[in-house]
Amino acid sequence: MNNPTNDFRPIPEEDDLVDGPFLPDRQRERPFIMVVTRNGHLSEHVMDYAVNVAHRLSYSILAVHVDTLPFFKDRGKRSRLFAAAMQESAALFGAKADDKGVVVAHLGELGKIGSVVSRLCRSKKRIEFIVIDKGIRLEEVVRQSPVPVFPVLTNKQGLFNRTIFHHSTKKGVFAMSTTSRKRHLKHCFLFGALTAGLYASVFAYQDVVMTYFTKGGVFALLPVATVFAVSYFHGNFTSAFWSALGIEASKKGVAKRTEPAIEIKETVVAPRPDTRPRLQVNA
Amino acid sequence: MHGPINEVIQFIDLNVYTITFLFLVGFIGGLVSGFIGSGGAFVLTPGMMSLGVPGTVAVASNMCHKFPKALVGAIKRYKYGQVDIKLGLIMGVFAEIGVQVGIMVQKYILDKWGQAGSNLYVSIIFVLVLVTVGSFVMRDAIKMKRSKTETETGATLAKRLQKIELWPMITLKTANLRISMWFLVPVAIATGMLAATIAVGGFIGVPGLMYIVGVTSIVASATELVIAFVMGLGGTLIWAYYGMVDIRLVMIILAGSLFGVQLGAIGTTYVKDYMIKYVMATIMLIVAVSRFFALPKYLNELHLVSLNETAVSVMTKMSFAIMCFALLVGASIILASLFKARRLEKMVSVNA
Repeated sequence: MNNPTNDFRPIPEEDDLVDGPFLPDRQRERPFIMVVTRNGHLSEHVMDYAVNVAHRLSYSILAVHVDTLPFFKDRGKRSRLFAAAMQESAALFGAKADDKGVVVAHLGELGKIGSVVSRLCRSKKRIEFIVIDKGIRLEEVVRQSPVPVFPVLTNKQGLFNRTIFHHSTKKGVFAMSTTSRKRHLKHCFLFGALTAGLYASVFAYQDVVMTYFTKGGVFALLPVATVFAVSYFHGNFTSAFWSALGIEASKKGVAKRTEPAIEIKETVVAPRPDTRPRLQVNA
Repeated sequence: MHGPINEVIQFIDLNVYTITFLFLVGFIGGLVSGFIGSGGAFVLTPGMMSLGVPGTVAVASNMCHKFPKALVGAIKRYKYGQVDIKLGLIMGVFAEIGVQVGIMVQKYILDKWGQAGSNLYVSIIFVLVLVTVGSFVMRDAIKMKRSKTETETGATLAKRLQKIELWPMITLKTANLRISMWFLVPVAIATGMLAATIAVGGFIGVPGLMYIVGVTSIVASATELVIAFVMGLGGTLIWAYYGMVDIRLVMIILAGSLFGVQLGAIGTTYVKDYMIKYVMATIMLIVAVSRFFALPKYLNELHLVSLNETAVSVMTKMSFAIMCFALLVGASIILASLFKARRLEKMVSVNA
């Protein structure tokens, strides 16, 4: 577990850490909701869910960031980024919890999700249930956990959907989850070269290309396939190009895009008239 | 479009001037279509023809450049959560039908009144549609700007139509509404017909989506890209089947327009909603003026009026120049508002 070049140090797992110095005395006896993530940043919808439930049940939250690749071979860069991301995530989570008066304890762990969960559940007695973040397999946790496990599903899930809407004012710390300019530059050169190659090959063999591409019939697929290739390579190149220049989408604009949801009004159903015959007694 | 091609097609030789021209027009056209969902195409066809490209090849190559551009733009704007794919695909399929209907109408007019009659028909449709729809959109944009509300106003017609429960009802998640298929189809067919007639279906498609279906202008312009992709792909397959696509022209235009479309899509995340309407209406109205100047030429050819040659040729040139001007104005509004909004956002984040 010890990596000398690693800035990220897991907090030693002693019982008193979670319900010890982190929490004021009156909180000591509260049960916990354990929120587990293997990402640097915990998804915001998971945070919101956990905070709301904890608020309603008056539980505390134990947020665990598990670095599942502590020995990743990049001279400790990933771990450093993970630690930085975790700090940021913890700050955001803390702010959200403060609004509702919920207590959150943060924990950094190393190793496999399953074993971390199993160890924590056994050492911290009052974990009532576990909420897992995107990227963790449910079975992996369920197998090792003595308490119920819930994933948070949202309609905002998907390949291109962000899990963090929070806009950081500090530059650079967000490197764990968002792309850096260096990566854009790399993409820019890679796809730029591919695009240049494609264009060069078409224009160098103009005559051959034009004879076959304009033959018609089945050959119609040739130009169509070519433009699809162009749209992939050149599309990625141009996208990386503007990003590398620093021209990117507004962070505020992304969140607001549709009209606020229309409230569904429940129709009030009048009670059915009682049509059963009644016996009237006239005394 | 389906007729046999009798004459041997001449593909032009490329030189530095042609390449630069196509690249620049591609870039500006891409910028505009990334922003308002369509546009740019109406300058490319006459532009290519003025370079000596035969009409059919110009139309085919234009069509072939349109769908990859729309695809890239749609993907980019999908990442921003602005695209309703379901709406786009449904509209796209029906727009394709509209395209076929549009072509039939064109053919009928061509048979009856000849080439000049067909050109006159195209120009009249151009002026009529652009002036009516453009001024309506412009009025709405100005109203929105004055009232300074963040959300979209108006669209009372759309609200009323959404309330009508007619089978089959369609629920659109991103657009956040539920409407009967019967109201989508006419909009889609009109879009397709306009696309077949003047090459820019979006001038009906986007306002149709905004005022009849009731989608916000951001989602409408993004979804229009999906419609343009479906229509463009269908059209390209047909044109390529007859061997009319000049891949070199297409690739040069694409080289510019993909830069533009990315920038245009980025621009939509910065500006207020009315800005899209504003840019769109401005371009539509200026293009309408441009087509107005093209009318005398066709009227002359049909011997409905008699003007002398020089006047007609000056007017034709002016018409093209005004068309380019329309695109330039649109592009500069987009760029100006993009960079202004970026500066503002930076200032805010520095102060915060």
